[in-house]
Amino acid sequence: MGDGSALNREHVLNALHEVIDPELGYNIVDLGLLYELEVEGGLVKITMTMTTPGCPAQDYILSGVHERSKSLPGVTDVEVNLVWLPAWSPRLMTPAAKAHFGVRD
Amino acid sequence: MTRTLGGAAMISKRLSRSTLPAFACALVNFVAAQGLILAGVTWPARAISAPGTLIVVHLLVIGWLSLLMLGALFQFVPVITCRPLPSQPLALATVAILEAGLAGMVCGFIGFGGGSRELAIALPSGGAVVIVGVLLGCWNIGVPLFRSRPLPLPGRMILSGLIFLILTVTLGLSFALALTVAPLTPNLAPLMSSVGDHAIAGLGGWFTLTAMGVGYKLFPMFMLAPEERGITGECVHVLGAAGFALAIGAGVARIWLTAEPLRIAQWTGYVAIGLAVTLYLWDIVRIYRTRRRALIEAHNRAVSGAFGFLGIATMLAAVFLATGHPDVGSPLVVFLLIFGWLTGLALTQLYKIVPFLTWLSRYGSHLGRGGVVPRVQDLVRERRGRRWFALYFLGVLLGAVSVLLRSGLAFRFDFALVTISTLGLITEYWRAWRGHYARPPNSRPDAPPFLPDPRGSP
Repeated sequence: MGDGSALNREHVLNALHEVIDPELGYNIVDLGLLYELEVEGGLVKITMTMTTPGCPAQDYILSGVHERSKSLPGVTDVEVNLVWLPAWSPRLMTPAAKAHFGVRD
Repeated sequence: MTRTLGGAAMISKRLSRSTLPAFACALVNFVAAQGLILAGVTWPARAISAPGTLIVVHLLVIGWLSLLMLGALFQFVPVITCRPLPSQPLALATVAILEAGLAGMVCGFIGFGGGSRELAIALPSGGAVVIVGVLLGCWNIGVPLFRSRPLPLPGRMILSGLIFLILTVTLGLSFALALTVAPLTPNLAPLMSSVGDHAIAGLGGWFTLTAMGVGYKLFPMFMLAPEERGITGECVHVLGAAGFALAIGAGVARIWLTAEPLRIAQWTGYVAIGLAVTLYLWDIVRIYRTRRRALIEAHNRAVSGAFGFLGIATMLAAVFLATGHPDVGSPLVVFLLIFGWLTGLALTQLYKIVPFLTWLSRYGSHLGRGGVVPRVQDLVRERRGRRWFALYFLGVLLGAVSVLLRSGLAFRFDFALVTISTLGLITEYWRAWRGHYARPPNSRPDAPPFLPDPRGSP
């Protein structure tokens, strides 16, 4: 974004790598917690989940996603939708995250 | 279910304000009880009716384990029900009331031992205050559970545990009344022979069933294993709850009735409890084996010691019961259950829970706002924790051998290992809470917290 290019999905995705799930200690993007990410002009729409329903860190993670997205140049509004279906599973992790945790397929 | 977040930043309401105070009070009581044991006030082979023994036992089961368990449930039940507690202030009040009630009971035991009738009356008074605290705690925990029916397995097991908690304290109060209120003594005195059932209700129905239920949620979550426990989990709950109910109910009824079916019911209860524990341990092994997270954290490694002691205690209880020597074996079994199983479980899980609560209260609100935020794992040094856990479980094992050999002196030496390791772990909890490790080594105290690159390995 520093090069003045228009806001796009990759910019947001890149920024959200800085938001971690504190218990697992890994970023939410590679954990597979983000289900959908759309950028419509200045509006960022995110659909995501948590590793488990009722996670005590849930509000902080949602707030962190909201704040980090909103801090990007060109973002005018952010919508974060929390869903429980489909339920998160370690299968949704990226290969890098699976390697980090030693997740067996 | 969908929840939308937009506009203003949110402030988390998911952090129980009473959990850390409950943990702090519980740890103080635990250290006090250990101090009394080291001072020679009592040890497991001493008669349960000795005032010093009663003080230490109640410091352990009310002051340490019950406060800890209720504090943990104040945080945990909203997680499994996705509903808040009805009242956070009352949760905090529960902690204060239980502490006050326990203090009254301790005074009562001192008065009871010293022959002071005036002081001894503090025993039932304190016991009544404890019941008020327990009922308040059960209401606060029970309401979100009740409103979330149909409950998942952990919730149902916690609910069963709460019923046994109420049964335990009710039996306890009846003992206190029988001992100290003369007009009630003739009617209540026979109940005194059900002290064993009181212990089974507390250590088994309340602590063990509840701990099993909580474990069914936490261990799969921490180890990324399947949460669904299927028929095995259902059997653990039904056999456990029915077994404890049958054993305690028939045990108490046998005070007045001598019918053979009651004896059979009591033994059926014991067998059901044994089966429930066996199935649970097998299921825990299954959770470890089916976990998707190959590299697990220190608390999940160390807790295997607690499970091992649960298995050993259950086997020993079966042997002592089958050979007709339950009185001979009960000090050892109770020691293993309190220190090996329940305290082992508690100390290992606090090693995760305290940093997690620290993260929620100190670092969570900085997430996504450009600052550096540590992970929960960055708040502890696992190598230190592993050493303390090894020393703790070694102390328990050696202590159990000393109890078996009836060597009080050796026991105190072994128990010093338990106390040293407990103090070491408390120091580690304190360091986690203070953010002692949440900065790079050799940095200035005012240096910013350490944040490893979340995209890479630590």
